Amino acid sequence: MSLTAAGTWPTSVSEVSSPQLRWRGVPRTALTWREWGDELVVFNHETGSTHLLDGLAGAVLHELTAAESGVTLAALVAALTDDPSAQDRQECAQAVNAVLTDLSWLGLAHADKP
Amino acid sequence: MIIADLSSHELEHRLAGPGIRLRTGPVVSRIQSRLPAVVQGIALHYAQYPTEESDGFADFHVRIGRPRNLRRWLQPQVLFFVDGQAPFTPLPLDQAFPILEWGLNWCVSAHCHQYLIFHAAVVERSGRALLLPAPPGSGKSTLCAGLVNRGWRLLSDELTLIDFATCSVVPLPRPVSLKNQSIDVIRAFAPASALSRPVHDTTKGTVAHMRAPIDSVRRAMEPARPGWIVFPRYEAGAAAHLTALSKGRGLMEMAGSGFNYSVHGRRGFELLANVVDRCNCYEFAYGDLEEATAVFDALATGP
Repeated sequence: MSLTAAGTWPTSVSEVSSPQLRWRGVPRTALTWREWGDELVVFNHETGSTHLLDGLAGAVLHELTAAESGVTLAALVAALTDDPSAQDRQECAQAVNAVLTDLSWLGLAHADKP
Repeated sequence: MIIADLSSHELEHRLAGPGIRLRTGPVVSRIQSRLPAVVQGIALHYAQYPTEESDGFADFHVRIGRPRNLRRWLQPQVLFFVDGQAPFTPLPLDQAFPILEWGLNWCVSAHCHQYLIFHAAVVERSGRALLLPAPPGSGKSTLCAGLVNRGWRLLSDELTLIDFATCSVVPLPRPVSLKNQSIDVIRAFAPASALSRPVHDTTKGTVAHMRAPIDSVRRAMEPARPGWIVFPRYEAGAAAHLTALSKGRGLMEMAGSGFNYSVHGRRGFELLANVVDRCNCYEFAYGDLEEATAVFDALATGP
């Protein structure tokens, strides 16, 4: 589950996965990054927390913080994959959705209310 | 002037009166005590350390004394005072010198926020610092004591201080705290090392302190650049081996060992990331100290 922009918890994973949801990262100015290979370590000034992210999570967070008006799951998948097959797109969507859930738990991303 | 320039009578007289101003790396502590165990401990462990002018600045004003209660006569106790306050509960009188050492560590870790401070031993070879962060019981101090008896310079067995301006490790060489079986391990490994009388039944078990090598004391103002971060773990019977650790995981583990990492916020993160950037990171398991020191000798002479 993830924390929504209104500060309430969604009641199911399907709500998080809703294609209408727009996802936002915390403001880029609130983060300090360091990347080593496929690893990204990020410090969140707002929470004082340090997080270690793998390559996919780091790429998702980069996309989120670059899109000030938020971004849908489908747009994220499109940004992260080149000309995928339908099966690839489905697998990628599941993986990105799991990452979004993790990022929201970490306080690095949230979903707007649909 | 160093402590050894004082006669034993003069040392005792000063400690009982105005105190001595003991310089350990960047820190000056004014120490007062009438307790023989403290006088003997300072004479044994700090003989080669500089002592500052009696009216000079001191970062911490420390006194090791006995509480004024019935405990003076029944199961006597000892208290650590800093700047007139006693922040900790009393301990049995037998622990007078360990309480001084633990108290001095606490003074630095709780107050010296001009540095980024980690719970890590740190030693140096050829200008490069080897950071050894680990929780109690992991064999960190034993490994540190082993290395400084095989040519590595002691920067600290407990507190790694990182300078914000230079990203260098600032030495704080003080006695190495050994516990339980480690005491006999070091006696056998380095028979010439000077150890204090073991003190039993402390919260850490039996404790003894090993005197810092004189070269480490004399070079206490000479910083070192970060070279390696190694997370040691003693495992009975294990062959000594290093396992490469990613920098990301190394940073996260180091952050967990920070005394004041959270105090410094983004500045602390950036400094820690710069330290990790300069280091190769490893996990290290060992069961034999001679093997372990050989591994680090090879590491130090490698690329």
